[in-house]
Amino acid sequence: MFDKILIANRGEIALRVVRACRELGVKSVAVHSTADSDAMHVRMADEAICIGPPSSAQSYLSFPAIISACEITGAQAIHPGYGFLSENAAFVQAVEDHDLTFIGPTAEHIRIMGDKITAKDTMKALGVPCVPGSDGGVPTLADAKRVGEEIGYPVIIKATAGGGGRGMKVAQTAADMEKAFHSARAEGKAAFGNDEVYIEKYLTTPRHIEIQVFGDGKGNAVHLGERDCSLQRRHQKVFEEAPGPCITPELRARIGKVCADAVAKINYIGAGTIEFLFENDEFYFIEMNTRLQVEHPVTESIFGVDLVREQLRVAAGLPMSFTQDDLTINGHSIEVRINAEKLPNFAPCPGTITQYHAPGGLGVRMDSALYDGYRIPPYYDSLIGKLIVHGRDRSEALARLERALGELIVDGVDTTLPLFHALLQEEAIQTGDYNIHWLEQWLEKISFEAKPSMT
Amino acid sequence: MSNKTSHESDVSFIQALAELLRENDLTELQVKRDYGENDSLNVRVSRQTQTIVQASVPAPAPAAPAAPAAPAAPAPTSNDADPASHPGAVTSPMVGTVYMAAEPGAPAFVSTGSTVKEGDTILIIEAMKTMNHIPAPRAGTIKRILVEDGGPVEFGAPLVIIE
Repeated sequence: MFDKILIANRGEIALRVVRACRELGVKSVAVHSTADSDAMHVRMADEAICIGPPSSAQSYLSFPAIISACEITGAQAIHPGYGFLSENAAFVQAVEDHDLTFIGPTAEHIRIMGDKITAKDTMKALGVPCVPGSDGGVPTLADAKRVGEEIGYPVIIKATAGGGGRGMKVAQTAADMEKAFHSARAEGKAAFGNDEVYIEKYLTTPRHIEIQVFGDGKGNAVHLGERDCSLQRRHQKVFEEAPGPCITPELRARIGKVCADAVAKINYIGAGTIEFLFENDEFYFIEMNTRLQVEHPVTESIFGVDLVREQLRVAAGLPMSFTQDDLTINGHSIEVRINAEKLPNFAPCPGTITQYHAPGGLGVRMDSALYDGYRIPPYYDSLIGKLIVHGRDRSEALARLERALGELIVDGVDTTLPLFHALLQEEAIQTGDYNIHWLEQWLEKISFEAKPSMT
Repeated sequence: MSNKTSHESDVSFIQALAELLRENDLTELQVKRDYGENDSLNVRVSRQTQTIVQASVPAPAPAAPAAPAAPAAPAPTSNDADPASHPGAVTSPMVGTVYMAAEPGAPAFVSTGSTVKEGDTILIIEAMKTMNHIPAPRAGTIKRILVEDGGPVEFGAPLVIIE
């Protein structure tokens, strides 16, 4: 095991890594910008180094700053957290070139999964289900109809050169194909000067289901089930749960094995997440995240394992502390992301925390770097805490979440707390009957102004 | 280490102690540094109306440190305790390792009392195996050196004071 590692991140995730280090007896080095001199991760780590001005580019994203901080403190490895340099292949290369260890996957795996097309091709070759489609250009209407029959309607016709929603037409049935095909081509021609189109299966109300995988870099890998992260606003997850309300043990075992086998085959090392759209009991690969996810605690809760501890173990060359057979699901867990944002527009709301009280009690975990008097700097993202609850089943977890939300106090800035109070009143949340469009549609209907302030 | 450099390092050490005293609002501070057999530095810095310096074996000139510790120094009255806020402070533009000379054994770029022109290299900071020459932002005299050769430095930490 390492003697000392450096944490190239800030906020709650830096604190999260400090905690794992402390339990392992590994010394931790926090790095921080001048804007974060008083941050909790700086106070909690064994050592702290100021690496630059507030701008992330010159601090948390600066290769030289982070690598020299490692060198002057004698840290042997770097934990990147999530965001910042966690999926930067060039950084991983630089770390290795300086004889340091990157706590995460190899530069090659980050590079492969960072490129959408290469990632999809790689996953397909590894047997991971992808969105079925034409695999290339579709020159004629007859070809388009044939593809439509093959993959099943509805389908979406997309301009090869397209993007940003332009040159995309949905054909609900074979009867729509002629019109959709020609207008997608015409739009492609007009907007991008290229009328080539391709066809993919169109998912109408999919859920976002992601599979947590973990590899030791030596050909062994496991899966830790799924998380349902369908509740998103502008592609940002706000509420995550595990297990997924609509995933049966059979579906989990099937997709879990496919994912674990895939990463085992490429000798993947560390934590990874394979994201899928899920509709009608079928999984369609979207992308793979080659890092620890924000929502990893829900998986930790139901499996009772510490994923950060495990990351450190495999990075240090040790075997994983569990096998697939050791991993059984216990109960249900939900995480909500508390952001310093003002509803209803989710405008970032930096400022000083005048009072912070974290909820407690059985099955409650609060991962946050807040404290009384903390000033949230305006330079970084607005996530200020994650409230994670665990219960024996989904309904117990929901009741516990409501109870814990009632105990949580964050004063001084606006937060997204009222969103969760309101969400828990919704039947769709209580029953788990939602998809990736549900939250945005609900937000258009609901008015937060009418509700009394919850803080 | 030559006698001259050890003297200079002693002087900056005492200066740093004096800063510490002011920074933490202490009245007295006593430190003994052992460099080797029969080679040690024993310093007591106190503040009230006067500064007393006692130096043992290698103590050629105990006079110098009196100046920075004196509360009467014409420094800004507000937060003069922090060298970083001294108007003449040159702060580190990066995190890294400080080198006072171009290579081991070479003469130091600057020493306390030396004069520099704007743009003169005052020291080197190594970050990721790159030697970054830190230029003097203005002409003046090196009043204090606040870092040690081979020592680590954070972003924003004061390196030297030029007046």
